[in-house]
Amino acid sequence: MSQRTTEGSRSGETPVIELRHVEKHFGDLHVLRDVSLSVHRGEVVVVIGPSGSGKSTMCRAINRLETIDSGEILIEGEPLPQEGRELARMRAELGMVFQQFNLFSHMSVLDNVTLGPRDVLGLSREEAESRAMELLARVGVAEQAHKVPAQLSGGQQQRAAIARSLAMRPKAMMFDEPTSALDPEMINEVLDVMVELARGGMTMVVVTHEMSFARRVADRVVFMADGQIMEEGAPDAFFDHPRTQRARDFLDSIRGH
Amino acid sequence: MSARAVSAPSVRDALFEAPGPRMRRKIVVGTAVSALLVALGLAVVVRQFYVTGQLDARYWSFFLEWTTWRFLAQGFVGTLEVALTAGAIALVLGLVLMLGRTSGVRPLSAVCRVVTDFFRGVPSLLLIYFFFLVVPQYGVKMPAFWMLTLPVALAAAGVLAEVFRAGVNAVPKGQVEAALSLGLSPARTMFKIVLPQAVRYVIPSLIAQLVVVVKDTTVAYVVSYPDLMQNARVLITSYDALVSMYLVIALIYILINYAINKASVYVAQRTGVKIIR
Repeated sequence: MSQRTTEGSRSGETPVIELRHVEKHFGDLHVLRDVSLSVHRGEVVVVIGPSGSGKSTMCRAINRLETIDSGEILIEGEPLPQEGRELARMRAELGMVFQQFNLFSHMSVLDNVTLGPRDVLGLSREEAESRAMELLARVGVAEQAHKVPAQLSGGQQQRAAIARSLAMRPKAMMFDEPTSALDPEMINEVLDVMVELARGGMTMVVVTHEMSFARRVADRVVFMADGQIMEEGAPDAFFDHPRTQRARDFLDSIRGH
Repeated sequence: MSARAVSAPSVRDALFEAPGPRMRRKIVVGTAVSALLVALGLAVVVRQFYVTGQLDARYWSFFLEWTTWRFLAQGFVGTLEVALTAGAIALVLGLVLMLGRTSGVRPLSAVCRVVTDFFRGVPSLLLIYFFFLVVPQYGVKMPAFWMLTLPVALAAAGVLAEVFRAGVNAVPKGQVEAALSLGLSPARTMFKIVLPQAVRYVIPSLIAQLVVVVKDTTVAYVVSYPDLMQNARVLITSYDALVSMYLVIALIYILINYAINKASVYVAQRTGVKIIR
């Protein structure tokens, strides 16, 4: 099972995100098997693994876009609420970036970014817009603020989506394969934004296939297969000396050429 | 951006590949032949009209009188009042039924489903007979306006509920997930994110259903409500001019529905422009 090197060294602190013995089935398919994971403040955890390994499901379970069968999910020590206002409040504190961007297609980019702050946080229009423009400038799409998402490239859309999440000033950000739907030339512009975020101390859970990003940015790499966390550890240790055969096979298969 | 701007320039372009030279020749020949056939058909119709005396002055001269048009205009206003009221009720009720049906509350959902299917399945004429013949027996006195408007509205509401539901189902799931993950409540997600997009998807179906509403109002004679059709019937009996009158009011109905179509597209485009600013 998993070794908890990083976790052990910081056991005194309450993790921002903690999963304890989480189980989930999709019908007969056992997608999450006894998944336990802690993410501490400022930590960047990169989750990798073959498709169908449950890594997206785990990521989505953290803000209850997927329900779990058993186990516990704690956000700053508090159990994740099941419904209603409490759940909405918790979700507002956790940023989520999707593979398909999911910008609201009937709104301008600016309205996408101000919606949450105005509607959920109760900011005035002026406050929300100045916060939004600042973030859009930070991710490099300020000139596109008044366009609708369909007028933007994939990379621009994903960067705007990151700005939308950041506008909520989240405690942590989840990225569910943020570059998998992008054309190759747009991957780096999104990864660059994520690297900036990580350097700024954001707590992040990143599901990705970008191994160079994982090696460069991750504090810890989590390898999942068949719904289980097979191993986790520092990126260099994991990539250079994977301990499990599954991880060796996986790394060989993606390095094959 | 209207539905038109987003989709292919025309249905033909979307469905068929660009024709080659041989196909283009066939199209030219086909067009010429069919144009000839249409012209021939029209000629036959006009000739029949002439032979049977339908083009005689007595069938058309009363259109020169001011009272004819005033009477038709009164009917036109009557049609408009019923159609607009019924359309508005149907839009609101259809939306409510859809929201009820898609809600997580099981009994509410079941009730809305039965109500929707009932009004969708029953012909509007039967509903009108119900309001005209059955409801008064239970002591509910209703003016002719409502005996016509309510059944037309109810029948359309059933269809519109399903139209809205199709639109809501067409909105990608990711839009909802993104809204929820920002901390929006399910209700706000529905009203701010899902519905505005859903309505845009179903604008063509909404237009079609509003046209049906206008056409449904033509059974006003059942309840003796003075709409365009009813007033035309009065004129037909007083001037004994069936064909000419039917032709004229058919033209008016076509114009009404054309106006609905134009107005809807205009509204769609305007909301589209507003998004971009």
